[in-house]
Amino acid sequence: MAMKQLFVTPNRCTACRNCEVACSFVHTSDPTVLAFPRVRTYVISENTNTVNLCLQCDDAACKKSCPVEALVWNAKTGALEVDLGRCIRCLMCTIACPFGNIHFDKRTNEIAKCDLCQGDPACAKFCPTLALEYAAKPSPDPKPGEVKPLPPIPWMLFTDKQSR
Amino acid sequence: MQLTIDKRTVVARKGEYLLEVAQRNSIEIPTLCHHPAVEPWGGCRLCMVEITHPDWKGWTGLVTACLYPVQDGLIVSTNTEKVHQVRAGVLDLLLARCPESSLIQNLAWQYGIEKTSYAPRKAPDLCILCGLCVRICEKIGASAISSIGRGVEKLVSVPYETSVSAACVGCLSCANICPTGAISFSESDHCRTIWSRNFELVRCEECKTVIGTPEQLEHFAQRSGLDRSYFTKCDSCRNREAAARFVRVTF
Repeated sequence: MAMKQLFVTPNRCTACRNCEVACSFVHTSDPTVLAFPRVRTYVISENTNTVNLCLQCDDAACKKSCPVEALVWNAKTGALEVDLGRCIRCLMCTIACPFGNIHFDKRTNEIAKCDLCQGDPACAKFCPTLALEYAAKPSPDPKPGEVKPLPPIPWMLFTDKQSR
Repeated sequence: MQLTIDKRTVVARKGEYLLEVAQRNSIEIPTLCHHPAVEPWGGCRLCMVEITHPDWKGWTGLVTACLYPVQDGLIVSTNTEKVHQVRAGVLDLLLARCPESSLIQNLAWQYGIEKTSYAPRKAPDLCILCGLCVRICEKIGASAISSIGRGVEKLVSVPYETSVSAACVGCLSCANICPTGAISFSESDHCRTIWSRNFELVRCEECKTVIGTPEQLEHFAQRSGLDRSYFTKCDSCRNREAAARFVRVTF
């Protein structure tokens, strides 16, 4: 099976920012300090929105700039993850990334970088319009007039109850 | 290979050290001079553990967990009376050296020491000589600081204790990694001061957030082989720009 990837389709994005909230919640360890979202939503022009998140570059500038090899590949998900035990918070990765997709979270004193949620990205789960999809390939755009059923939104992500 | 730490069987790979294996298995061993980013050093002697082996005919030894390589069948005890005594001795000395450090005070208190039994130092500072700052500076490639002097006069400083170090890039890694906060620095709107040297500050071209010192960015650009233009803007500004560019290429 082909490795799943996170696909972004900007013309489906409504900038609802569900992905940012989901990301924050999933990466929060201390419930009193909400983590910095790894995915950011932008309104580019009147009818254009998009999300921007880590591209997991093969030849990553963040990895190259790290003096202590704290960025390591996760072979299972294909994500480049930050080893926070090794990280010395020199913040060079945050400055080196050409896409600005690696941030420093002052509140948690951690480097905030997309880790694909260990192979189950919360942003894609909560995207109501399939602008973010975690799949082997992106789903095709609906034809004019066709109404596609939306995937169920996992309202109860943090409980064992069935999604509505 | 398998070994036993506090009656728990744990798995380890050849070449690993005891402390790494214990930390991975959430077995607590106190340490002050260890950081995964730098080579183990065995400076603080706080991670002492007692080891024995079925083949050793009852012989036991006290070793530093951060420097002892794992061995198949090893039996490690992290909390015996002997270990407790050794650690208490170390903390008693450290408390005499750094009576004002809250980290040392807390650790010493955990080992039953409220007041040091030695004569405290006359002009105490917060440095416990763990060497983390020196090792991280070397790792980064600046090697601006080192330990100077011997015995009671040993201290961490820039060469010859002169007021300005040419090798320092002002990255603050030493201050950030210091477990006791002994390395002081200050940062104002225009200037960062560390090791008595003043550094200019580079700001993001757009939002004017501080991103570092010119020497630091130059050093890290050279070190990583990335172009200097990679180090000109802050993450948020780049992120917004990249999003706009991304939309342009997809539509």
